[in-house]
Amino acid sequence: MDTATYFLYILISSMVMNLALALYGVFYKPHLTKKIISLTILGDTANTFALIIGYRLWPGETTPSRPPVLVGWTHLNKTMLQQYVSSAVDPLPQALVLTAVVIGLAVTLFLVFLALQIYRHYGTLDVREIRKLRG
Amino acid sequence: MIGPMEIMIGITALAALFSTAATYLAITEKDLVKAVIYSAIQSTIYAFIYYMLMAPDIVLVYIPVAVGLYPAVILVLIRKTERWEKD
Repeated sequence: MDTATYFLYILISSMVMNLALALYGVFYKPHLTKKIISLTILGDTANTFALIIGYRLWPGETTPSRPPVLVGWTHLNKTMLQQYVSSAVDPLPQALVLTAVVIGLAVTLFLVFLALQIYRHYGTLDVREIRKLRG
Repeated sequence: MIGPMEIMIGITALAALFSTAATYLAITEKDLVKAVIYSAIQSTIYAFIYYMLMAPDIVLVYIPVAVGLYPAVILVLIRKTERWEKD
């Protein structure tokens, strides 16, 4: 196994670790604010996995992979297009992640106001106490 | 052998390890204000990882949202509710 793949495995393993920690925070932490913080971390880690799927290693020793931005498209020729296709990373996961970041912001804002209303109604944000108060 | 590509991905992997440490601190911290600050540190490292994964457009959206808006909104929530998480 070459060194770049080894480093990529380290990156993916730490992302899996982050995912596990965020899931632990969402499921086992009793405080609702901590659950919201864990949920943002969970969403960001899922976005990072999408970006890792779209990433490509360098095509050559000295030619780096590059962002999926096609510059100089007004006078485009075949060699420029070939160079772009052979070195740019996948733009589709990046477009999806861009949408997911904004939707995650909206969902987090909704959850924050829900937590605020729960606090105004029950006087606490601890789910164990809220469960005792029910009924 | 270690070339420029290996150095770049090595820096990214190192940043990912630091982000795991920041996530652990954010999840286990009892003071919620400190937890939000650790979460913001983790988001900054994620923005750096996105930059290294050749996604500069996502970095432009992600930095204001995850380093600016998330901590601000959650800090407002903590200010209006409780600061400490009980055992």
